[in-house]
Amino acid sequence: MSETILMAEAMKQTVASMLRGIERYNPDNLPTLERYVEIQSLENAYDLEANLAILKLYQFNPHLFNEDITCQILLKALTNLPHTDFIMCKCLLNETQMSDEIIQIIYLADILEQCEFQLFWTRIHILPELIQRITGFLDSIRKFVCHVVGITYQTIERSNLAQLLGDVDDSTVNAWVKKYGWKNQGNLIFIANQDENIKTKNINEKIDFENVGAIMASCH
Amino acid sequence: MDNYEQGYNNDNNYDDYGAHTGDPNLDNEYRHYYSIPDFVNNFLSYFRNCVKEGLVFELQTLYEQSWPKITEDYFEKTPWPEESDVAALVGSDPIFMILYKELYFRHIYARIQGGPTLEQRFRSFFNYCDLFNYILSAEEPVPLELPDLWLWELIDEFIYQFQSFAQYRARLQKKTEDEIKDLNANNRLWNVLCVLNVLHSLVDKSHIKEQLEVYASGGDPDSVSGDFGKHSLYKMLGYFSLVGLLRLHSLLGDYYQAIKVLENIEVHKKSQYAHIPACQISTSYYVGFAYMMMRRYSDAIRTFSSILLYIQRTKQMFVSKSYQHDQINKQTDQMYHLLAICLVLHPQCIDESIQQTLREKNYHEKMYKMQCGDLQEFEYCFTSACPKFVSPCPPSTESPEGDYSKNAIKRQTIIFMDEVKQQKMLPTIRSYLKLYTTLPLSKLATFMAQNSRHNDGKWDLDKEMQSLIIHLLCFKHKMKNVVWSKGASGLEGKFQSGSELDFYIDDDMIHIADTKVAHRYGDFFIRKILKFEELNRKLHQIKI
Repeated sequence: MSETILMAEAMKQTVASMLRGIERYNPDNLPTLERYVEIQSLENAYDLEANLAILKLYQFNPHLFNEDITCQILLKALTNLPHTDFIMCKCLLNETQMSDEIIQIIYLADILEQCEFQLFWTRIHILPELIQRITGFLDSIRKFVCHVVGITYQTIERSNLAQLLGDVDDSTVNAWVKKYGWKNQGNLIFIANQDENIKTKNINEKIDFENVGAIMASCH
Repeated sequence: MDNYEQGYNNDNNYDDYGAHTGDPNLDNEYRHYYSIPDFVNNFLSYFRNCVKEGLVFELQTLYEQSWPKITEDYFEKTPWPEESDVAALVGSDPIFMILYKELYFRHIYARIQGGPTLEQRFRSFFNYCDLFNYILSAEEPVPLELPDLWLWELIDEFIYQFQSFAQYRARLQKKTEDEIKDLNANNRLWNVLCVLNVLHSLVDKSHIKEQLEVYASGGDPDSVSGDFGKHSLYKMLGYFSLVGLLRLHSLLGDYYQAIKVLENIEVHKKSQYAHIPACQISTSYYVGFAYMMMRRYSDAIRTFSSILLYIQRTKQMFVSKSYQHDQINKQTDQMYHLLAICLVLHPQCIDESIQQTLREKNYHEKMYKMQCGDLQEFEYCFTSACPKFVSPCPPSTESPEGDYSKNAIKRQTIIFMDEVKQQKMLPTIRSYLKLYTTLPLSKLATFMAQNSRHNDGKWDLDKEMQSLIIHLLCFKHKMKNVVWSKGASGLEGKFQSGSELDFYIDDDMIHIADTKVAHRYGDFFIRKILKFEELNRKLHQIKI
């Protein structure tokens, strides 16, 4: 494993130099960049900037468009939710590139963005081959689920959380609870003390003497 | 490049493409009787001398005042004198001729009905090539000084003409066979890579990125500027090219690069580079737009309100320069539209005087419609305020006849509307939550079900609860966005809930936190005081 991790790491520098200045638009770099995407999928690494550069090269050179790589880039973008990477990728695609597979991925993004997690899990179970190549894909989505749960709940019912995580078993729930430092409280899970961050704000106007000094001076 | 020009002159009768009437016979006649008015003659000679001697202040007046004035008086709907006539007048001066032609073509793009012909588009492109070759391929900085406003408008126009060509190229209907032939023979002209290449070369040559980095950290930019970047011409062209790249990337839908290219530029801060209002306004427009598309509403709202405030305060300054005024007015209106969209999706406190304008003008009604979920209104506001997107690759001339120029804008509109649709339930939820400080989930679910038009009064509480929780999660997710607070790149930032209403769920109870803004009196009284003073002064002046 440590050897493969070196691959994405080692490529990072080479790739970064391919993205500087006008060199970013050189289609000769595409094979290297595409290989970099495969490695990202394999090693659960991620480089948004390089992936966007590929989509831009496809935009400039439609005959070089590679649907398979594009799908991987889109799926990788989903693994970085709640960031809006997916939207940025989507904005670089054009209508001629909308294959069935890409439309399917856009649909997945759509339901994830609406937090329809249960629908997402049913959907993904019937499409296992779509995400097979993306190492750690499902756990990345679970991370996103935990992010949303983390900002929404103070306490959540245990069964509810299990459902949001894709009907996972008890030990898996426990693993995620532990990872985020949440606490088991019987059939409830304590997430965090939200009332410290989320409280009513009152904005009052403060005018002190210095603020009005100038205008008072001019009104003699 | 040479091949092209030769080929053109050999194969075609030049006058067929004349710019005056479109009718060759008329044109010849017109040419025959036409001579440049003396006044214009004198102006051009003087203009040329000022360029030659580098009298920047004088050039500024000529560029900002005399040229538009003479255009109004003599060339309101006709082109300026032809290159050959001017060349005969000012003698051999290639640099002045390039600059003259830049203005000449710009005028054709802006004022001549029917727009430039294909041949004029090509000639303008070659003129830009000549200009940039002259500036970029020199061994040492070229002895040319131009007013900064001119340099900004030059870069801005260069990108505008690229955009205009891409739109023109994508309209495959109504093209003659000759035009198609010409397009195919010259498919590298106005190519996106050429444009990118020019902008990147200007950025590199001027070391502007290094200069900005040093400047941002409080150092002296000249210490890294190199021989070229010290010169105002190179330095400012470099800076404007960065803004040009921002615009170009935005036109292509690449919002990440759009924001990234402005690293080390703090959009809201005054700096030695930020003294051209039109450039500042354009920068904020594209930055704000990119943020909006990236769902960084707080950043978009901050960007728009800050520049709109600036425009509000400095409006008087622009009035005298009418041609800039139109452009600024248009962009201002677009930004109010975009701000309105952002505030509907992400309600947030903004400056009182901007709020006032939104209330007074007809934005208010549009915002109300959008809040009620009127998707058409969203789409209308978006399409009237978004940039004119282009596809970098034109449709093949073999494609079926048709108008492809709207494809890019359609694509971006669909993506934006997808986002709006994902958020369609949030305003309803927000309106309920605003009424409470705590609210049981089941109660809100009941409200939502009763409010829904789809269930004929029959509904199941469990199901309603389930879909409510999805909407609530979606609410939290969509309202928590990356917000910039510090750092060289506008892409940086932390997740924050910037919207005025927030909540959390504790088991089956929703706890709501709202932002309450007390009435503000300061601004109100200051405005009244000033008004009163003004009135008082006027009364004193009245002599009976």
